[in-house]
Amino acid sequence: MTTQKAFLECKGVWKVFGPGAEDFATNPGGEASTEEFSAHGLIAGVRDASLSVAKGEIFIIMGLSGSGKSTLVRCMTGLHELTAGHVLIDGIDINNISEKELVKLRRKKISMVFQDFALLPHLTVLGNIAFPLKVQGVPRAEREATARKMIELVGLSGRESYYPDELSGGQQQRVGIARSLTTQPEVWFLDEPFSALDPLIRQEMQSEFLRLQAMLHKTIVFITHDFDEAIRLADRMAVMKDGEIVQMGTPEEFILNPANDYIREFTKHIPKDKVLKVGSIANGSDAPTNDQPLQASASLQSVAEQVIAGDGRHPVIDAAGQVIGSLHRSELGPYLL
Amino acid sequence: MSHQGSSKASAAIRVTAILAAIAVAAAFCYLLPRSNGLVVFPADWTVDWATPLTDWMKYLSRDFDVFGLQFAKITRFLGWLVSQPFEILGGVMGTGFTFYRVDAEPFVIPPLPWTGITICIVLVAHHVGTSRLALWSAATFLFFAVFGLWESAMLTLSSVTIAVIIGGFIGVLLGVLGYRKPWVDALLQPIYDIMQTLPLFSYLVPMILFFGFGPIAALMATVIFALPPMARVTTQALNAVPNSVKEFGRIAGATRFQRTWWVLVPAARKQLLLGLNQLIMLSLAVVIVASLIGAGGLGGDVLKALRSVRMGDALASGFAITFMAITLDRLSYAVAMRRHVHETVTRGWLQRNKLLVSCLAAMAATIALSTVLPALHTYPDAWTVELGRFGNGVVSWISSTFDAQITGLRDGTIVWFLKPTKIFFLSVPWAGFVLVVGVVGWALGGWRLALLGVAIFTAIALLGYWKKAMISLYIVVLSVFASMIIGFALGLWGGLSDRANRALTALVDILQTLPTFVYLIPVVMLFSIGDFPAFVAIVLYAIAPGIRYTAAGIRGVRENLIEGAMMSGCNRRQMIWQVKVPLALPTILLGLNQVVMMAFGMLVITALVGTRGLEEVTLVAISRVNPGDGLMAGLGIAGMAIVFDRYIKALNRKLAHQLGLPVPK
Ligand SMILES: Nc1ncnc2c1ncn2[C@@H]1O[C@H](COP(=O)(O)OP(=O)(O)O)[C@@H](O)[C@H]1O
Ligand SMILES: [Mg+2]
Repeated sequence: MTTQKAFLECKGVWKVFGPGAEDFATNPGGEASTEEFSAHGLIAGVRDASLSVAKGEIFIIMGLSGSGKSTLVRCMTGLHELTAGHVLIDGIDINNISEKELVKLRRKKISMVFQDFALLPHLTVLGNIAFPLKVQGVPRAEREATARKMIELVGLSGRESYYPDELSGGQQQRVGIARSLTTQPEVWFLDEPFSALDPLIRQEMQSEFLRLQAMLHKTIVFITHDFDEAIRLADRMAVMKDGEIVQMGTPEEFILNPANDYIREFTKHIPKDKVLKVGSIANGSDAPTNDQPLQASASLQSVAEQVIAGDGRHPVIDAAGQVIGSLHRSELGPYLL
Repeated sequence: MSHQGSSKASAAIRVTAILAAIAVAAAFCYLLPRSNGLVVFPADWTVDWATPLTDWMKYLSRDFDVFGLQFAKITRFLGWLVSQPFEILGGVMGTGFTFYRVDAEPFVIPPLPWTGITICIVLVAHHVGTSRLALWSAATFLFFAVFGLWESAMLTLSSVTIAVIIGGFIGVLLGVLGYRKPWVDALLQPIYDIMQTLPLFSYLVPMILFFGFGPIAALMATVIFALPPMARVTTQALNAVPNSVKEFGRIAGATRFQRTWWVLVPAARKQLLLGLNQLIMLSLAVVIVASLIGAGGLGGDVLKALRSVRMGDALASGFAITFMAITLDRLSYAVAMRRHVHETVTRGWLQRNKLLVSCLAAMAATIALSTVLPALHTYPDAWTVELGRFGNGVVSWISSTFDAQITGLRDGTIVWFLKPTKIFFLSVPWAGFVLVVGVVGWALGGWRLALLGVAIFTAIALLGYWKKAMISLYIVVLSVFASMIIGFALGLWGGLSDRANRALTALVDILQTLPTFVYLIPVVMLFSIGDFPAFVAIVLYAIAPGIRYTAAGIRGVRENLIEGAMMSGCNRRQMIWQVKVPLALPTILLGLNQVVMMAFGMLVITALVGTRGLEEVTLVAISRVNPGDGLMAGLGIAGMAIVFDRYIKALNRKLAHQLGLPVPK
């Protein structure tokens, strides 16, 4: 997937809050520490962030509270003026277009889901979900028909005429999600969409989210402070700290090669066998194999029993059936703890 | 440690400075003769800004023209514009319409039947609130009819309605502007401050000039007076909309117009409706006082009755105002608090607009029936209950039975408190007073605050209002003192006992709902006119926040602090006086601030019962149509109120800081 062309790109994005931020960020800013910024009365929300997200990819930005995730996503949606750098969506530099074009871009190409749902209290579920179309002047019958489809999609049928404060948190966020999908956006931003929900509901919503994405193939920037959630949902992910991106890669890369102790601390308790794919630890050598073939895309966990039970070396094959390596139970040890 | 040491030292310096200033001021008193210019402000030092202001306003109202258009024409046109809906509404609800045909025969379209209007109100009350509210509304409107006050009540109601519509509309627009443009907000805030503290009478004179004597001038004054709170609430409410909702509007690609009117304003709906509740109550209070310039209605009835000593009638109208106030307050509050509830099944137009349909049906039915039973249309005069003789009897019975107590209380208070305080305030040399104001201001909030206080009191002296201002001040200070003592005692009781708190909350709710004017009625009946009834009316009116904030402060002391004190072996009394009261002090001070503001608010009305301070100047200005004097004296009162407000707020910040508590809002 990473080989595909980038659909959303951040190039050296800076967002510094405070007076005179522009000069400071472009001059000595690159080297300055948090303390030096605050000595100038400035706060560096995002420092020199570069990333690219391919079409149809789930890109997760993970970081603790205050690490600059929301600031970065606000930069990507044009809610913040950038202090320095560029954000490109489908090749359009969103900081170099007119207000009118930006409005058009927002109406057609992007949408966002908020941590606290941000529903309009005076509108019903149907009204809330149809709202983005109303803003565009879509006639009532048409926009309500679209909204009803979205309601069905997120499993809220029968609740059309409810008001937000009559719904549970999980249901409200389903409305938020449906609302963000009515305009059929290409890029879908979700800023800690499940953080306000109870753990059980959160799990359910994560599955729901994956189900939707399997149908819709959006380009997704998903923010979370929960490393487990990131690992579970990500195609690729970035971890931020103090406004900087510390590491970027697939979940497997994080597990196999944590960039530093900060990341290692997060990965420590993650069950590696759940994350790692057979393909990524397969031995590339062409040692003779004598057992059942394994799918490269299967998780270690799903094949562990089979591999441990047998004595032989398994060939590992990719989706096309090509052998790309092999695996023996003696090689599983480090990943099953 | 060293920081604390230095703040202690500077506190000592401040206290010393205040004491020194007081000593200097006192020395003035004894050392300088009264003929000295620093003791009594010399008449030839004063400047007359009032007369040129009056001349200018008169010029404005008569001859000034904008681009060849006479200003007076514009204001008259504005007045005409406003009078149209007002007259239509008043006609529909109370008076009906009378046309004269060519042959001079009157042709009358009757108003809506009183039974129909009452049923509609009850239906609305039931729809938005509880059955109790519906019952209460029914009783209120029946009261109007039974006591022969229907037409006056409908006139007052129409005035309030029109004032609320215009004030709400402009208020929301200004509020949105203030939200969008922070510099506009910064500019408007001090203007609102002055508008809100300027006595109502000061508005009335220019309104008479521009719109002529009558209900429209009163309506305009009402709108102007009631507007600032609505604008403020709007700006605050929009600012308080969650950030994510605002961002949603932008991400959805809404235009600025759509963001304001489709996202922000509806999202702030509840707070806006609470603001509307305030607007309604304020408008009612003002419409009633505005009867002075011919607004008519219930306020006019009270005024007429009081002037001709028909106590029973004054009482009946006073009750009518009270009931109307409570009904309007509870109704609009219920509307603001209403939660959206989904509809279970998709229903037809008829069912979705059940309220409207049933109101129309009730109206049609009562109109039809009233052709057979005219009593359903106009409450028959023969059935009205005259409270006149009966009320007079009650009032005179009370005053004769309790004559000894009433006069004893009145004369005792006058001799022991009012007189000495008044003499003290009048004898203080103005320069000494200004000096103390300056030093206290500096000690509380630095030189800028000191400058504000000094400037305002010096301006009052310069305008030649010193003596009048001192008379106003003495009543306010004494009333605030009494309100705070009683309010603190009751609030403490409410803070410690849940049952007391429930009772006091109910009392305070009622006290805060009543329009200022209502307070004057019983005090005039019992104590006639003069400073004493004014003092009692101010205390009654201003006591509510004293009670409320004290109770809230005591209740709001954090649990862990109480537990800590309990651990260290405090007994009950120590707990109250050494833990709870000191920690509640910032909140109580906030209450003090409100008490002072309300005392000034009532003071300006007490001119009607014969007080002699600046408020009297604003009242006399009405009868002399002298807007300059009215405005200048009004600004004097507003200035004093603002000085008190800023000083108490500064004191509160200091105190909260020293106690390590957040500054209460
Ligand atoms: N509008 C703003 N003005 C000043 N500082 C801000 C603003 N928005 C965010 N910040 C600061 O930027 C930093 C990152 O904030 P944020 O992006 O909200 O973090 P996260 O979403 O990761 O919790 C924080 O220190 C925050 O205080
Ligand atoms: Mg955030």
